[in-house]
Amino acid sequence: MHADRLQNMTEHYHADTRFGRWLLASLVLHLVMVLILAGGWFGSTRRESKPVYYVDLVHKPVLNPQAGRPDPRPKVKSKPAPVKRQAVSVPPKPVAPAKPKVKIPAKSTAPAVKPKPDKKKELDLQQRLSAMREKEQRQSEIDALKDRLASLQDASPATIPAAVPVGMPTGTGSEVGVSIIDYIQATIQQNWALSPYLLDQSRLAAIEARVELEYSAAGTLVRYRILEGSGSSQFDDSIKTAILKSKQLAQKLPRNEDFTVIFNLKEMAAAKR
Amino acid sequence: MRMIKYFLLLALLLPLTATAATEIEISAPGEQRMPLALTTFLPTDGAAVDEIAAEINEVLNADLDLTGLFRFADPASFLSDAERIGLYSTQVDFAQWRLLGADLLVKGTYSLQGDQLVIEARLFDVVNRRLKSGRRYLGRSTDVRRMAHSFADQILKDLTGEIGPFSQRIAYVSKQTGNKELWLMDVDGHAPVRLTDHRSIVLNPDFSPLGKELTFTSYVANNPDLYRKEIYTGQEAKVSSRQGLNVAGRFAPIGREIAVTLTKDGNPEIYLISYSGAIHKRLTNNWAIDIDPSWSPDSGHLVFVSNRLGNPHLFTVNVYTGETRRLTTHGKYNVTPAWSPKGDRIAFARQSGGRFDLYSIKTDGSDERRLTFGPGNQEHPRWSPDGRFLVYSSDADGKKAIYVMRADGTGARRLTEAGDDSSHPAWSGRW
Repeated sequence: MHADRLQNMTEHYHADTRFGRWLLASLVLHLVMVLILAGGWFGSTRRESKPVYYVDLVHKPVLNPQAGRPDPRPKVKSKPAPVKRQAVSVPPKPVAPAKPKVKIPAKSTAPAVKPKPDKKKELDLQQRLSAMREKEQRQSEIDALKDRLASLQDASPATIPAAVPVGMPTGTGSEVGVSIIDYIQATIQQNWALSPYLLDQSRLAAIEARVELEYSAAGTLVRYRILEGSGSSQFDDSIKTAILKSKQLAQKLPRNEDFTVIFNLKEMAAAKR
Repeated sequence: MRMIKYFLLLALLLPLTATAATEIEISAPGEQRMPLALTTFLPTDGAAVDEIAAEINEVLNADLDLTGLFRFADPASFLSDAERIGLYSTQVDFAQWRLLGADLLVKGTYSLQGDQLVIEARLFDVVNRRLKSGRRYLGRSTDVRRMAHSFADQILKDLTGEIGPFSQRIAYVSKQTGNKELWLMDVDGHAPVRLTDHRSIVLNPDFSPLGKELTFTSYVANNPDLYRKEIYTGQEAKVSSRQGLNVAGRFAPIGREIAVTLTKDGNPEIYLISYSGAIHKRLTNNWAIDIDPSWSPDSGHLVFVSNRLGNPHLFTVNVYTGETRRLTTHGKYNVTPAWSPKGDRIAFARQSGGRFDLYSIKTDGSDERRLTFGPGNQEHPRWSPDGRFLVYSSDADGKKAIYVMRADGTGARRLTEAGDDSSHPAWSGRW
């Protein structure tokens, strides 16, 4: 009896001991889980926010702005290409070889239509044809010269295509940027603040002032001169303020530049109508 | 030979193209409001009185905003210079204000010793780094709004060459006491004061050219008689108490005459009378109703309402020759004309579709423009003395109240409480 009891107690003790071990193991495992979930072992699980970069898109002024969309053949120019061909064909007098070329088919077709042509008529026809060819030749020479002149003008800053905005498929040019004219115009306009309430409303359409500006290649205003005032001190003061605010351009210029800026309120007057 | 000619031509043209002046046309400003930074006025000595600084700021902000000339820089973006006293250009860090894009800067200080208030106010040109205008105001603490209005006037003078109208007063008719009485208030609607106690019906006030005297019509003697009233002394005098209507009196800008509508002969006609009421001249003589005269700034013409051609329309009359000309041809009911002090336009009310709206038209009858579009009736337009603003009555918010707007119809704001039943405003001259 006593032995049974002792055995029971021993079994009970062993059972208690096993239970304690399991309990301890369970606690350890739970602790491990907590540590894992807390991120202590695998490091931080927080997502790092992606860096945000703010970029100011600046249109750099260039001499020959490329005003078209990115093109697989960016170097192909609409104007200069035919100019070169024309320029080559003009000086070595290609007129002479051109004549017989035209004549030959004329001769070959003439007999087919008229086997016995009248000599007088034929002579007259040939004279007229040669006159036509000469006229055609002259026209082609003039066209070639015009193209040549246009290509030379394109190279000068005075005729940079200000009307063609950047990003238009009709654009030409070889450099990435905007024309100097566009750039200066946008800068000064942005700095020009003028309320229509400052002015005589009936004079809005007529008011105008002309200012001469000189910028260095560093984009610094060297001097300005009012060529023609508007007659309104408020208008002229606002122009001076705009020019002073545009004293230093954000971009350098390709070279020193002189401009005559005409300030008026045509758009404002049109809107008031 | 021909080729040589062409090359010569080319050679001649090339230098021309190379040296041609580059012209840039800018046909509109980038911004139609001048960027202005309005700082909080700082105390020079003693403790800061926030109410004073806040009141100066509120008045300047409201006045300058009404002009439509400015875009205010956000005070939250102000840097350290806004917290520094800077009454001289050498004390101002202009670079900070340029950074914020401000072209103009208003700074100032105040000092309250007992009840004596001293305000120093400055307007700086940020781009040219110079002081444009500076004023010192002395007064009592209750004068703070008046001082701020005065500096707003000064700012307008510096920028436009013409003093602003914010220190002036607006007279109007209100039914606050239950009767239509004459009232006077600041141009922003503050400090309303009752001027009459007729306990009857008072109508149609108008300021004398010197500004301290009013004419109006009152039914106090059971007849619509014309009165004059000195504002400071409160003295009143009957100008015209002829049988029938004695209404719509308007002081001539030049000279000592009043244009008025009388029905003494049975039909409403326009007369010129002296300040004492003696008739100088009868201007209209027509079977129709001729009423509501308004003077041209040179006192040479009057615009008035007449139904001589059927519907009520505006007509002008030459004061010296009596020559009359029709002004409006559109609409069927054009009334209450007001000739601009600048002389170029005439404002009036037109009834169309059962409600009144305000219009303005050139003095030759061209370029008619509608000024108001909102709900309710807009009536009784009157010009500010500088011709920049119009004050009028409107029931857009329910009951009639006094409103002010720019001469082109923009920036409208209510000046009196909507429940006051206010109408017939008139803007004083220089106060």
